[in-house]
Amino acid sequence: MRPVAIIGTGQTNHARCRDDVSQPELVREAASRALDDAGLQPADVDAVILSNMELFEGRALPELWVGEGAFANGKPCMKIATGGTSGTSSCIAGFHQAASGLFDIVLVVGFEKHSEGHTQTGMALTDPFWDRAVASGALGNFALSISQYMAERGVSEEQAARVAVKSRRNAARNPHAHLSDANATIEDVLNSRLLAYPIHLMDMCPQSDGAAAIVVASGDKARKLSAKPAWVKAAATRHEQPYIGDIEQRLLTMRTLRDASRSAYATAGITEPLKQLDLAEIYEPVTYAELAWYEILGFCAEGEAGHLIEAGVTGIDGELPVNPSGGVLSANPVGATGVIRVAEAAAQILGRAGAHQIEGAKTALATGYGVYAWADAVILGSAV
Amino acid sequence: MIREEAIKIPFQYAAGTAGSEFLINLRDHRQLTGSRCSDCERTLAPARAYCPDCGREGLHSVNIGPGAELVSWTIVPDKGVFALVRPDGADTAMLHKLLGPIDDPQPGIRLQVVFREERSGHINDIEGFAIVQENGE
Ligand SMILES: [Zn+2]
Repeated sequence: MRPVAIIGTGQTNHARCRDDVSQPELVREAASRALDDAGLQPADVDAVILSNMELFEGRALPELWVGEGAFANGKPCMKIATGGTSGTSSCIAGFHQAASGLFDIVLVVGFEKHSEGHTQTGMALTDPFWDRAVASGALGNFALSISQYMAERGVSEEQAARVAVKSRRNAARNPHAHLSDANATIEDVLNSRLLAYPIHLMDMCPQSDGAAAIVVASGDKARKLSAKPAWVKAAATRHEQPYIGDIEQRLLTMRTLRDASRSAYATAGITEPLKQLDLAEIYEPVTYAELAWYEILGFCAEGEAGHLIEAGVTGIDGELPVNPSGGVLSANPVGATGVIRVAEAAAQILGRAGAHQIEGAKTALATGYGVYAWADAVILGSAV
Repeated sequence: MIREEAIKIPFQYAAGTAGSEFLINLRDHRQLTGSRCSDCERTLAPARAYCPDCGREGLHSVNIGPGAELVSWTIVPDKGVFALVRPDGADTAMLHKLLGPIDDPQPGIRLQVVFREERSGHINDIEGFAIVQENGE
């Protein structure tokens, strides 16, 4: 396999409602910005990969309608679908296409326009016999796991609230973020509306309109086109059985993310993630999940996640900044969310992350999460 | 310009071999059915055509419940208390409702399945799982 790198990224300005543009126009906004960032023209793109959550916009075959927005006419174009992981999986598919020698330049674009459809309906269309018939889509993926996680690991509601505070404050440095608040407090989170015990509104990711894109290049092209490519050091993905009753301790064990990250660490030679990673952009759909992922990803021992957030270790000035962009809690156009994680990690290596740039970032982790049933881990670095 | 529209989407799903067996036993015999995997030596709830973890097919059907243990729970405002419950004899949990009165449920407490009088071959032929009081009622 050939080495591959990311040489450009682009994001829309994510928001609750982007009814100033159509779906293909939203996709075009991110795709154009990524090509500009890479210094390329549409004709330079060899293949296009799209990511989106079917049903959320109430339009079948979303890839059919937005491909032209991603400059895909006359080119190989397909959609990758792995739930919330679709964005990271699409990036990984792009890495594979370039690494295999199939294509030299691959454009990966993820998008979602939650405001146009009914996300709750899409989310409610789960297994019709054992899940939907009982809970009518009333349950998120987390509520049933969090009470267990809190009891087992001694995590408090206040510690979880600190994750949301970090997210909102970091997002204040990110012009693309949907939600930001430089003055967010723990009280704001604890006083926000209760969605399902113990999850408050500010513990949960929003639904955003937005798109994100990356330009993947083969090693030879990357060296020619970029002074400082973000090299793909490792990429791993894992799938898991879906029924919620089959794995009782999902948040505690999260086998998909644990195995994907261990595989990626081994490939990239990472034995001490807290020390060797300069930052992480992780897919944290809820505050409690970010804490659980600290443990699963090996940033700390089991039961230490609450201490890690309290001590500021994962703050933007901490030893391992986690989600300096504000993360999923601050912007969540689902089909794009995984692409955003990879794009943000790449922008940090490229040195183009703006006000939330981590100085001298050389090694970055990006992860994806898809309804417990998928997880992806991507490690980017400043050297091949 | 914004166009508003609503689409009604009818569906018709097949429960499959194992799912049908579970639902028929529920309807006709007030009985919960699990599937025993001889490879990983687990009993899965509800019944399956194949083991979701190790992939083995041709699992043996076994009766599970009616007692059960609470695994985890959440309260959804205006919707009720949902729980993962592990029926006796099963190694995995099922999603269902927890019936009241509920005061600070803890993982591990004993439960009992409550069936509806009118049953049609639907998971909601189970009304929910009730907490077994300490005096054994
Ligand atoms: Zn098995």
